[in-house]
Amino acid sequence: MKNLSNASKVLSTLVFVSMLAALGFVFLYAPMEKEMGDTQRIFYFHVPAAISAFICFFLVFLGSVQYLRTRETRWDRLALCSAELGVMFGLIVLITGPLWAKPIWGVYWRWEPRLTSMLITFTIYVAYLMIRTHGTRSGQAPRLAAVLGIVAFANVPLVYYSVDLWAAEQQLHPPRNVGLAPEMRYTLWICYAAYALLLVQLLLRRLDLARIEEAVERLRQRRDELADY
Amino acid sequence: MLIDDIVLEKASKNFASFVALRAVDLCVQRGQFTLLAGANGAGKSTLLRLAAGVSRPNSGRVLIAGEDPQRNSKARAAIGLLSHHTLLYDDLSAEENLSFFAQLYGLADATQRVEGALQEVGLLEHRRRRLRGFSRGMRQRLALARATLHQPAVLLLDEPFTGLDQPACAALSQRLLQVKERGQTCMMVTHRVGEAAALADRLVVLRRGRICHDQQWQGSSQELVDTCAPFLGAIH
Amino acid sequence: MNFWQRTLAILHKDLMAEWRTKERLSPMAFFSLLVLLVFNFSFELGGAALHEIGPGVLWSSFVFASLLGLSRSFADERENHSLDALLMAPGDRSAIYLGKMLGNLIFLLAVELICLPFFTLFFNLSPGWFLLPLLGVFFLGSACLSAAGTLFAAMSSNMRLRELLLPLLMLPMILPALISCVEATGLVLDHEWGESLYPHLKMLAVYAIVFIALSLMLFEYAVEE
Repeated sequence: MKNLSNASKVLSTLVFVSMLAALGFVFLYAPMEKEMGDTQRIFYFHVPAAISAFICFFLVFLGSVQYLRTRETRWDRLALCSAELGVMFGLIVLITGPLWAKPIWGVYWRWEPRLTSMLITFTIYVAYLMIRTHGTRSGQAPRLAAVLGIVAFANVPLVYYSVDLWAAEQQLHPPRNVGLAPEMRYTLWICYAAYALLLVQLLLRRLDLARIEEAVERLRQRRDELADY
Repeated sequence: MLIDDIVLEKASKNFASFVALRAVDLCVQRGQFTLLAGANGAGKSTLLRLAAGVSRPNSGRVLIAGEDPQRNSKARAAIGLLSHHTLLYDDLSAEENLSFFAQLYGLADATQRVEGALQEVGLLEHRRRRLRGFSRGMRQRLALARATLHQPAVLLLDEPFTGLDQPACAALSQRLLQVKERGQTCMMVTHRVGEAAALADRLVVLRRGRICHDQQWQGSSQELVDTCAPFLGAIH
Repeated sequence: MNFWQRTLAILHKDLMAEWRTKERLSPMAFFSLLVLLVFNFSFELGGAALHEIGPGVLWSSFVFASLLGLSRSFADERENHSLDALLMAPGDRSAIYLGKMLGNLIFLLAVELICLPFFTLFFNLSPGWFLLPLLGVFFLGSACLSAAGTLFAAMSSNMRLRELLLPLLMLPMILPALISCVEATGLVLDHEWGESLYPHLKMLAVYAIVFIALSLMLFEYAVEE
């Protein structure tokens, strides 16, 4: 346990330092974008959040598949914790998006492909969490959630493809391979690193918490059983 | 060599925080008629459902004729279940119900089998009537026909006497005796142990998810009731 | 070929039971019509607005009707515990899924065919050759809804609050299919088939195939106890 808390402290410090560094790079090092001005700097928070969300959704998928194969609780725990983090990062994307949009496009929200797809994906995983909390008696929750976790991830490319078809002409996001100035690219990589460390730290802590919750539940069951006798 | 038709090895099952079965070990040999008794909530139906392949154990394993019914089709084809629910469709006729199950089990000479089964349970003249119009006794007879249509090696019975009046009970007991004489392995869960006395070869009593009593049986109704009485006392 | 025999046996049983009672088809169809009416009074429909909203209104009513019908497809199996009997049968259990899915598809198509004349009546469409491609869109869209819906119905029949949760499960997941259904229907009603229609039809076909394949693999886990 001592080792765990030491590693956790080291990681926390790393996250803190990297976030500070990222902020420094974003506001001091990165050049001002010629068209959008300072508002563009939200980009450095918005894009890594989106990538982090998708990493989390992939982890939900991975946890779900492995749970159905092995029936080991740790995989179900991974799926649940990743889903929560994915929803959190998705929320960051959906908040920073409109904040960025208002000065640039003139409106907070437009039904354009990337935003809409992110919104639908976000809704799918919120539904996942809601089903887990309200829908199931805890004996079956992991199994049903695992099925849902697999279907949800398989649906994501379908969401993106169909929304693209629907509103292709409304595409307001810049295309993926837009040329970035070298300083911007370095800043972006620093931000990716900071978010990655944040993701790892939050995931590990949340997994720990889940493990403790399960241990408490087991103790409670044991107490109830003994009370019966 | 005596074959073990139903085997449970350290099988456990829980529902949410309720542990229904705790690491149960049970072997039922071919041709044996085992009576599962116990108070409400002891885990009898859970055990039966594990044996039927309808429920999957949380740990341990269940084998029917040496194979896992969850994974193996042949094991499932060897099982028949007669429950207090009929597992039949009210809007279909008796004949249609049995034909459906014959198709589901891929039985070759379906029409003859269905007719034969209806004849055996005395429902041939009601073959075209919809199940909605059937009495409880008639439904249970059809349910028995459904359960034995594919001639399973193992017959599982979950409170089959529920809701039946005395004549219907006697008729069902008679039919089960015929089933037993044919050499099929049976496991029955029932509260009404008196009815089961003539059928049972073995008595297994469950309490709080564990087997607390297991003996070969050859006695009268009254003796069976008396033996079980102390175990049925506790109410959950 | 035992898998197909069992699939067809289950389909036949569902169709026969429904034919006798009509307890799913009538409420579904009537509900669909009611939704059309509600939308009519909620929006000022007619003329240009119709072109914009018509297909969306139509598919919304189909989706809501399908929610009604889908929850029933496993509900009565649970009620008389006959699902146990189906699970005990030998062979691949996903035959249950496929049989149920085909049944749901047929019911949904029936509802759509019943609603179509009313839709053309309320919204003053002139009948014409567009009906044939429209039926194609209906078929593909319904296949998507049944493919996903049957899996979710199986899952939700296993849960607490089942009727409440089926929409929560299903609506976010069918959005990609819904988008393409509405677009494709709009294009067909505008007599624009060809270049712009095929991508949507392809989308629907891919969606249906993906969900059927996933469900065939996952169904067993969705219904086990």
